[in-house]
Amino acid sequence: MTRILQSDNLDKCVARWREAGLTVIGPVKNESSSSYAAVEKAAEFDFSLIMPDRSIKELFFPQTEPMLQYTIKKQRIDTSDFTPPPEKRIIFGARPCDASGLAIDDPLFGWDYKDNFWFQRRDTTVIVTIACTKADDFCMCTSLKLVPDSTKGSDVLLRPLQNNKGWQVEELTDRGRDAFNEIADLLQDGSEPAAPTAVVAEKFNLDTCVAWLQKPENFESTFWREISMRCIGCASCTFLCPTCHCFDFQDEGDTYSGIRRKNWDSCSFALFTMHTSGHNPRATQSARWRQRIMHKFNYFPGKFNVNSCSGCGRCSRQCPVDMGITETLQAISTLQP
Amino acid sequence: MVIGYKPGTTADRRRPHFIRTPEEADQLVLDSACITNLSGYLVSEGLLSDEKAVAIFLKPDGIRSINILAAEAQLNIDQILILGFDINDNQVTALEGEKVEEFATLIESIKEQAPDALKNPLLEKIEGMTPKERFTFWQKEFSRCIKCYACRQACPMCYCRRCIVDCNQPQWVNTSSHTLGNFEWNIVRAFHLSGRCVGCGNCDRACPVNIPLRLINAKMAQEVLGSFDHFAGMSHTQEPVLASFKKDDSETFIL
Ligand code: SF4
Ligand code: SF4
Ligand code: SF4
Ligand code: SF4
Repeated sequence: MTRILQSDNLDKCVARWREAGLTVIGPVKNESSSSYAAVEKAAEFDFSLIMPDRSIKELFFPQTEPMLQYTIKKQRIDTSDFTPPPEKRIIFGARPCDASGLAIDDPLFGWDYKDNFWFQRRDTTVIVTIACTKADDFCMCTSLKLVPDSTKGSDVLLRPLQNNKGWQVEELTDRGRDAFNEIADLLQDGSEPAAPTAVVAEKFNLDTCVAWLQKPENFESTFWREISMRCIGCASCTFLCPTCHCFDFQDEGDTYSGIRRKNWDSCSFALFTMHTSGHNPRATQSARWRQRIMHKFNYFPGKFNVNSCSGCGRCSRQCPVDMGITETLQAISTLQP
Repeated sequence: MVIGYKPGTTADRRRPHFIRTPEEADQLVLDSACITNLSGYLVSEGLLSDEKAVAIFLKPDGIRSINILAAEAQLNIDQILILGFDINDNQVTALEGEKVEEFATLIESIKEQAPDALKNPLLEKIEGMTPKERFTFWQKEFSRCIKCYACRQACPMCYCRRCIVDCNQPQWVNTSSHTLGNFEWNIVRAFHLSGRCVGCGNCDRACPVNIPLRLINAKMAQEVLGSFDHFAGMSHTQEPVLASFKKDDSETFIL
C-alpha cells in the first residue's frame, strides 16, 4: 500500500496550500514559452511538458535582484539591504533534473559565504518533484549518474500512476511532510502501480570524460577549437541551465544614489573576463567553451565533489547552432585519455 | 574553407559545418531544414584575415547580408564565393551566380515583393492597437527577456566587437532584465537593425524565450521601405539608411 494523490484532488490541494499562505508554483506553458510560474488553480499546470523551457533556478536566483540601496552624502555613504520576500512557496511538479540542480548549487552558494538570497528561498520552498515517464532526444540525466526518478534536491517525490489518474507519494524531508500534512485528508491509500519511468539512454561515459579533462596537457588541445567553431557565444545555454550560477554586480542610479543589483552573467560572453586594460585571458570562444566544460566537470567537482550538471539537456535542446554539453562529452569520450 | 550545413542532433536540425578538407565535405547536407543564415561566421575574428576566399551556402536573405557587410566595410566581396540556394515549398533550388553582384536582379525582385511579404496579421493587429495597448503587449512579451543577447549573437548584422550594452565605462545601458532594461535593450536593437535587417529570422529562432522579434524587424523594414524607399542589402555599395544624410533633406535636424 502506498499513499496516492488523485489528480482530481489536486485543485483542492492547491486551494488548501494557498489558504495556508503558500505560493503555489508549477510548470506552466504560455502561448510561446514555458516556465515554472505561480498558479491559482491546478488547471493552469501543464504536466505534459518534458520540462519547462526555463529552469527552476530563476525562482531561487532571479535574473536580476536588488541587493542594496545606497546614498552618497557629504561625509558618509548610507546603505540599506534588500532581502528576498519572506514568502513560503511550494513548487509542484518540478523535474528531477531541476531539483537536482538546486542541490548541486547549494554547496556553491554556501561555501565561503552563505548567500542569503539563495538560502532564504531554499529554506521556505517545498519542492515536490514528479518522476519522468517520458524523455526526449536531449535528456541525459543517466549520463550524469542520475535517474528519471531521482530524489536529489526534492522534499517529496511523486510517481505518476499507470492509469494516469494521480501519483504515488513519497515524502522525503520534514519540509515535504509538513506540506503534505496540510492535505493529508485528500490523500488515499492505494495499490495502483506506478507508470514505468522514462528510458534515458546513457550518451557517454562520464568517468572517461572526466579523466581526459583532468589531464593538464588537454587544456591546450586543438579539440576545443574544433568542437566549438560554430558556437556564437549566445549564452542561452548558461542562462537556461539549472546549475550555471555566475552573476555580476551592477550599480544602477546616478552619482549620489542608486541600487546595487545582482544580475546573471555568463562565461560565454567575451566581456565576462575582459580586464580593464582591454586584455582578455579568454580571448576566443573556444577558450570560453572550454571553461564551461572544465568548470562543470573538472573544477566544480574538484571543489564540491559533484558535477555541475544534472543532465536536463536544455543547453543542447535550445542551442541555436545545435551544440551543447552532450555533443562535447560524447566527442571527449571517444578521445585517447 | 566552405561554410555549409551538416546533420544535427535530431532529424529536423542542421548544424553549421566548416569544411577544410575533402573528407569533411562528406557530411555536407542541403535541404529545406537549412534555414540558418550563416553569413555571420564570415566576420568572426580572423576568418577572412588571411585574404583567402571562402565559399558559403546562402539563401537570398544571406546574400543580402553579404551586401550590407560589404557596404559597411566589414568584408571584401572578392573573398566571398556564394553557393546560392532557395527554399520554396520544402524544395531546394540552386541559384545562378557566384559573386554577390550577380544576384542583383534577384534581390530587385525580392524588393518588389517586399511590401506584401512583410505583411503579417499579428503586426496589423498591433498597429490597430492604441499606444497604451501596444505598450502593454510589448511589456508582456519583453517581460520574458533574460538578456542573454542570443538575438544579437545570432544576427549577422550585429558584428560590433563591443556592443553598446557591453560598454561599461560607464554602463550606458542597464544590464538588468527588469522592465526598463528589457525595453532599453530591445528598442536599441530595433533601431540599430532598422534598414539593415534582412529578415533571416536567426534572432527570432535563437531567442530562448520566444519573444516575437520578427514582428519588430518586419515593422522597421516596412518603415524604412515606406519612408526612404530603402530595402536592406540591395548592393554592396548601398548607403546605410540611418547613417547617411542629404544636404537638401526636408528635416531641419538629424536625430
Ligand atoms: S553553445 Fe550554443 S547556446 Fe551555448 S553559447 Fe554557444 S551557441 Fe549559444
Ligand atoms: S549543462 Fe546542460 S544538461 Fe547540464 S544541467 Fe546545464 S543545461 Fe542541463
Ligand atoms: S535582426 Fe534578426 S532577422 Fe534581422 S538580420 Fe538580424 S538575425 Fe536576421
Ligand atoms: S534572445 Fe530573447 S531573451 Fe535573449 S536578449 Fe534577445 S530578446 Fe532577450
